[in-house]
Amino acid sequence: MDTSSPAVFVNGELLKVHQGRRVRAVVQVSRADGPTMVGQSTDGHQLFVKGSPSLFPPSHFVEVIGIADGGGSIRAEICTDFGTSFDAQSYNQLCVLANGELKSLFI
Amino acid sequence: MYGGSQNDGNSLFSGGGFMPSQATQTPDSGVSPAKSRGTQGVLPLTVKQISEAFHSSDDKSGFVIDGVDASNVRLLGMVTKKMERVTDVSFTLDDGTGRIDVNRWVNEAAETNEMAAITNGMYVKVNGNLKGFQGKRHVVAFSVRPVTDFNDITNHFLECIHIHLCNTRLQYSAPSSMGGSENDIYNLVLGVFQEPASVASEHGLHVDEVARRLGIPMNKIKDAINYHVDIGHIYSTIDDNHFKSACNG
Repeated sequence: MDTSSPAVFVNGELLKVHQGRRVRAVVQVSRADGPTMVGQSTDGHQLFVKGSPSLFPPSHFVEVIGIADGGGSIRAEICTDFGTSFDAQSYNQLCVLANGELKSLFI
Repeated sequence: MYGGSQNDGNSLFSGGGFMPSQATQTPDSGVSPAKSRGTQGVLPLTVKQISEAFHSSDDKSGFVIDGVDASNVRLLGMVTKKMERVTDVSFTLDDGTGRIDVNRWVNEAAETNEMAAITNGMYVKVNGNLKGFQGKRHVVAFSVRPVTDFNDITNHFLECIHIHLCNTRLQYSAPSSMGGSENDIYNLVLGVFQEPASVASEHGLHVDEVARRLGIPMNKIKDAINYHVDIGHIYSTIDDNHFKSACNG
């Protein structure tokens, strides 16, 4: 039982709030820029994923768990391919709920 | 998604097919045969909720979350530190809100095969029995199934939220006009203060925190707090809004 390092559900907007903390976000891959993966967050922001352990095909949804850096980027620890049929809108709503009045269930 | 007549959180999740393995795990069920587990179903939870769950030490597995018996739970998260032994497989489940140890006894070939397919880094859905032993909480799993559709992740956490709201708000807003509910609120409020996390915190709990946790109107919370302060169950700490339980756990 250990709740000391949770990974908060975030979208592009909420990522700014959690700088320096462990977060998880789902991004839709648009391109790879060297070691950095560029993608779109569930609320339409552009996110940069640094240190992504593997390459993911464009338009796939990828869950990134890592540390929130400044400037809309995440230092990735774990990336999971969620495939192409992922409901980004519902996930985005979940991010909002998990950071709002129901925060206590998550962090 | 959750419209219609399904306004009772528990009814959504009743009827799990786990009776046989439960029977083997609690051979001494003669102690409390009246406890109808079948009506409870499995409760979708986050690890964070389990870590804050109230555990009555006199009962063997008396976990209560949002006022509901939380013996059968459903968790969803990523498998880490998987270890296979002859009779059981254990791993740590990380659901993003926390980590909890999960244990799965493997007696039959089907169970062994199910667990062999589980690897580290995989998202799985765990249905199991929540256990507390010497202050440590862990889950004895009935089933561990890989997540194949990742929308299940969103779905699981939305379920956790939905059930939490069903069990807190709807339940307590309805009977508030009835007689006798005053005492229930007093007990609920005291329960929050007596949670291990509340007792451990130096300044105790803020009134707002209590109100938010219970989903009860602020004036009722204040009434209950005044009552408990008068009786000596709790006392105010750094200011008039922070209170702490007078008994140390």
